[in-house]
Amino acid sequence: MAIVNLQNVTYRYPLTDSPALQDINLQVKEGEFVAIIGPNGAGKSTLCYTMAGFIPHFFKGELTGIVEVAGNETRNSSLSEWVLNVGLAFQNPFNQISGAKYTVFEELAFGLENIGVPREEMKARVQDGMTLTGISDLGDRSPYSLSGGQQQRVALTSILVMQPKVLVLDEPTSQMDPIGTREVFGVIRTMAERGMTVLLAEHKVEWIARFADRIIALKDGQIILDGAPSDVLTSPVLKESGFGISRYTSVARAAQQMGVWKKEKLPVTLDEAVEGFSQ
Amino acid sequence: MHERLSYYVKRDSALHRLNPLTKIILALSIILVSFFSPWYWTAPILLLLVVVPLSFLGRVSKEYFITALRLILPAAGFIFIMQALFQPVGETIIFKFWFLDVTQESLSFAFRIAMRITVMISAFTLFLMTTHPSELMSDLTRRGLPGQFAYVIISSLQILPQMQARAQTIIAAQRSRGLDTESSFLRRAGSLIPLVGPLVFGSLVEVEERAIAIEARGFTSTHVKTSLHEIPDTDVDRIIRWMLILLVILSLALRIWLS
Repeated sequence: MAIVNLQNVTYRYPLTDSPALQDINLQVKEGEFVAIIGPNGAGKSTLCYTMAGFIPHFFKGELTGIVEVAGNETRNSSLSEWVLNVGLAFQNPFNQISGAKYTVFEELAFGLENIGVPREEMKARVQDGMTLTGISDLGDRSPYSLSGGQQQRVALTSILVMQPKVLVLDEPTSQMDPIGTREVFGVIRTMAERGMTVLLAEHKVEWIARFADRIIALKDGQIILDGAPSDVLTSPVLKESGFGISRYTSVARAAQQMGVWKKEKLPVTLDEAVEGFSQ
Repeated sequence: MHERLSYYVKRDSALHRLNPLTKIILALSIILVSFFSPWYWTAPILLLLVVVPLSFLGRVSKEYFITALRLILPAAGFIFIMQALFQPVGETIIFKFWFLDVTQESLSFAFRIAMRITVMISAFTLFLMTTHPSELMSDLTRRGLPGQFAYVIISSLQILPQMQARAQTIIAAQRSRGLDTESSFLRRAGSLIPLVGPLVFGSLVEVEERAIAIEARGFTSTHVKTSLHEIPDTDVDRIIRWMLILLVILSLALRIWLS
């Protein structure tokens, strides 16, 4: 039974002619880590907003088809109930700071206060969340005094502590250095292993290749590829459509043309590349 | 710079530990008594015997005196001079200034008004110095203030410095592309116009994203909200509040009875 179920979903923003999403069909299993890739303007953010309930509850426009999470349909549910099941963190960390709190600890508790979590449990959840994302030492700082990468961790943690069933992330590592990115991908992987379903829109294909269970490639509002990272990221379709691909794949493809790469399948991660070249 | 966002001075004192509502009522009753009391010397005496000792009790006396010198004294002084010059009361002329008569009566009236203003600003300054904004808002929300209202107040306190910082960034960016910000006044006023667009439209875009972000954290949830910090509200608080309210009623009654 899929926890996320999208059937024939088409969406058009107000005052636009062409749909931002076209006939999307997507089923995601509980605990699955799905990455969404695609060039700018392909509809990644729109898809995230749709799954998180902001379309149709926040953005108007025309939505057809079925959007279901855990058996409930978005249109029959209010946004404030929906966010209990689906958490959303997005790109710009600065705008995700509530502005109502003076320390990071309070900021992380903001969502829990709103949904009425008792005080002791709230403190425990915030502590755990900070440990998980490696920001325990920032608890007393003002959220505005942090760097972009730190703010992004705070934004991610503020959603994690709400313990949604489905986590929707729209480029949550855009302002992070490579170490920060690796750590955050590690955290997302851990959440998926604990049973949280993760949908992640992201450009960093090398990280996706290592951590995601499945990749969906979006182009012009349509799903053009859907499958395991090793299949999607090595597909010739991807290259023709102007997607970023893993440098390991690029190198191996060049090597294949020169006859150096002997395996039939192209690599997407460093380990696969090393293994292939050492044959 | 970003760490200091309000008048709040972080200390541990009896005044800090009082419930925020008690402190609002304390500030308001000091102000109301100084206005209602029929007795001429009420305001100066309140200042010396209540406000100043409270600043010591709250362990913010140093900060209070600095604010008094920099903000309260100039404001009260200005009001004193204006009232003394322009109050057309009294016969006993002390001196003439141009066409204006300064009389003994206008001086005494001006002093009374200036002292009331001093007491008013002082009481609120002490309140702000000893009350954390978020504590105040969670306490008031708990007592039934709409969450949206509390959010608007507290986020504007925080967002103003952010907008200032952004304005600085935009100015720097435009200067690096040759915008003149250092010549004559008119020129500089004119060069502010290209700043307005990015600042205002940027802020509007930001509002939409921020709305999404707080919505994603259940801001409009219909659950009963809880609060991270336990805000003390003791019997002592309740007794103080009732006594203060009685005091205000008493001073109002005295005023009506004596006039």
